[in-house]
Amino acid sequence: MLTATFSRDPSDALRARLAGFSGFLHANGFGVGGGDAARIVATSAQIGILDRDVLRWNLKAMLCGHAGEWRRFDALFDAYFLPPNKRVFVEGEHRASRRDASVRLIREAHEDEVEEASRRHERDADAARYTASRETLLATTDFAELDRADETREIEALMRRFARRLKRFELRREARAMRGRRLDLPGTIRRSVERGGMPLSLAWKDRRRIRPRLVLLLDVSRSMSLYSFFYLRLARALTAELTDVQSFIFHTRLTGVSEALRDTDAWRAQEKMHLLAEGWGGGTRIGECLHEFNRMHAPRRVHSRTAVIVVSDGYDTGEPKQLTAALKELKRRARRVVWINPLAARSGWTPESLGMRAALPHLDLLVPGADLATLERVLPDILEGLR
Amino acid sequence: MSAPRERRHEVAELQRQLERAGYVAESSLAAALLLMLDLNRPLLVEGDAGVGKTEVAKALAAVRNARLIRLQCYEGLDAHAAMYEWNYQRQLLAIKLLEHDERSVAAKEQDIFSERYLLKRPLLEAITCGEPPVLLIDEVDRADEAFEAYLLELLSDFQMSIPELGTIRATTLPLVVITSNGTRELSDALRRRCLYQYVDYPSFEKELAIVEIRAPAAAGELAQQIVQFVQSVRRMDLIKKPGIAETLDWTAALLRLGVTVLDESRAGEILETLSALIKTREDRSAFTPEVVARVAAAC
Repeated sequence: MLTATFSRDPSDALRARLAGFSGFLHANGFGVGGGDAARIVATSAQIGILDRDVLRWNLKAMLCGHAGEWRRFDALFDAYFLPPNKRVFVEGEHRASRRDASVRLIREAHEDEVEEASRRHERDADAARYTASRETLLATTDFAELDRADETREIEALMRRFARRLKRFELRREARAMRGRRLDLPGTIRRSVERGGMPLSLAWKDRRRIRPRLVLLLDVSRSMSLYSFFYLRLARALTAELTDVQSFIFHTRLTGVSEALRDTDAWRAQEKMHLLAEGWGGGTRIGECLHEFNRMHAPRRVHSRTAVIVVSDGYDTGEPKQLTAALKELKRRARRVVWINPLAARSGWTPESLGMRAALPHLDLLVPGADLATLERVLPDILEGLR
Repeated sequence: MSAPRERRHEVAELQRQLERAGYVAESSLAAALLLMLDLNRPLLVEGDAGVGKTEVAKALAAVRNARLIRLQCYEGLDAHAAMYEWNYQRQLLAIKLLEHDERSVAAKEQDIFSERYLLKRPLLEAITCGEPPVLLIDEVDRADEAFEAYLLELLSDFQMSIPELGTIRATTLPLVVITSNGTRELSDALRRRCLYQYVDYPSFEKELAIVEIRAPAAAGELAQQIVQFVQSVRRMDLIKKPGIAETLDWTAALLRLGVTVLDESRAGEILETLSALIKTREDRSAFTPEVVARVAAAC
């Protein structure tokens, strides 16, 4: 495409090709808008498009929005602009053999993952003799459930209420207020000016209200299959309501699903979930998954204002010790750790499973939550627990 | 307007200039900086802590010979603290002094709310500078969404209104560099308005170049070993991976102890200086003398 036969002023065909690139990225899940197409054409006309590397750098800076897009960009750029015989085609996301150092780093990380997975598999081969549910289930799951209309509206209403109440949490920092606990001296003087320097109306400072950030860790193993979709819909409704909710699903592995849930297009959200949810409905290794969360995501996602909500029945096939250790660390980082157990709603339920017993000492709150009604009942408790 | 072929040279030239300012930039970053000048759009730089995001702005300021104005974001930062404040102590004093003044109340008020009593905070400072400055908005993800929305408005219009003074229009357009650690999702609106750059941990070659530029005292062999060591440390399972600043600190610490070569026999010195590289207790406990000796031997 980019041969030197074109003049400085790009011909219509070339301009269309360039403009089409943003559509191509959009189809690949990039958050580019209509204005971007016009912008890249205008910019490229100004800077020139004959140098492939320069074009790549410029488009990358203009069209990427976050780290995930940044990593996928090079492969997509090649796929779109290079003629097929020169294309380094990619099956996964980032396996293009570019000499670019950053890509090489990613590839190494990827290989590490593969290696680790195979090691884990060997370990699993031993364990499989003892319990069948440790196997990762590869069967496909129908994510049409994700957008079921009847229940969704109620869930959305509940999550809106939840989000609204969360916003009332107070922070130690103060801001100007009409009335409050402490006098705001600059504000008072500012107001006194209109009365000739006499401080008649006082200004106050009060606690700022701010809600905690939320991290949701949803257990989607087989034993949770009755509740997984319910909670996933709940997470999606909550994500629509609040901007900084991070959602993860876990079974034998941990997967981040925030981006998929945030997609406003229900169909695309389903597609994304399909890709992510390999292993859905298999066994559970809660401790291992929480440990992975601590290692990979907690340094960024969890801080002293973050509340972590774990949704799981506590049936764990991993080591209880590992679960204890992982929760202990999580507890140290996070502001609150709340555990929602769907089984706990049943009468006569006691936290007897090994996993639950290991977890209990490190939780701020354990509440039942099997359906909308029970969850609504315990909502005040959860809010209190997150405070 | 620049001819297409020249653009590549411009990128290379900017890279050289940045390097002279002590910053090793990849070509994509240099290209984005040039684009930022062309399009007058902010540059959003993301990456882990310690990969040199803030340095981008500093180096850019050095290359352009411009002033660097820095706004450090924190939780609870509001528009006031970022924009302007009235120097109310002085105003109070002035009110007292003006009590026996014969002028009208309106004239007095105009006096009290004149620019003399205005404390410029970074954002106002940046748009009223004589020369275009580099405005660094550091760790924008720490500030809350309300502030982000406000920032967005400022960055699109480059004007702000002060009720007592009226609207202040930008006399110069600052070059805006925004950094984020990714602790919070930034709004799509902000992302769309900015050019984007993701900075990863440096490759061996890049980090070696950085060490050679910033710590010339570390001779060739030692610099290579140090970088090799740090690169293997980054591959370990750590809570907090060392950044470039840590590498440089550690290099300085080793030089101070007179270390000229890293190998097993130097495990003692390495352990002593490791506090410059490893910053949490859990990570530190992973570095037993045996581990250090093994990593050092591989360098």
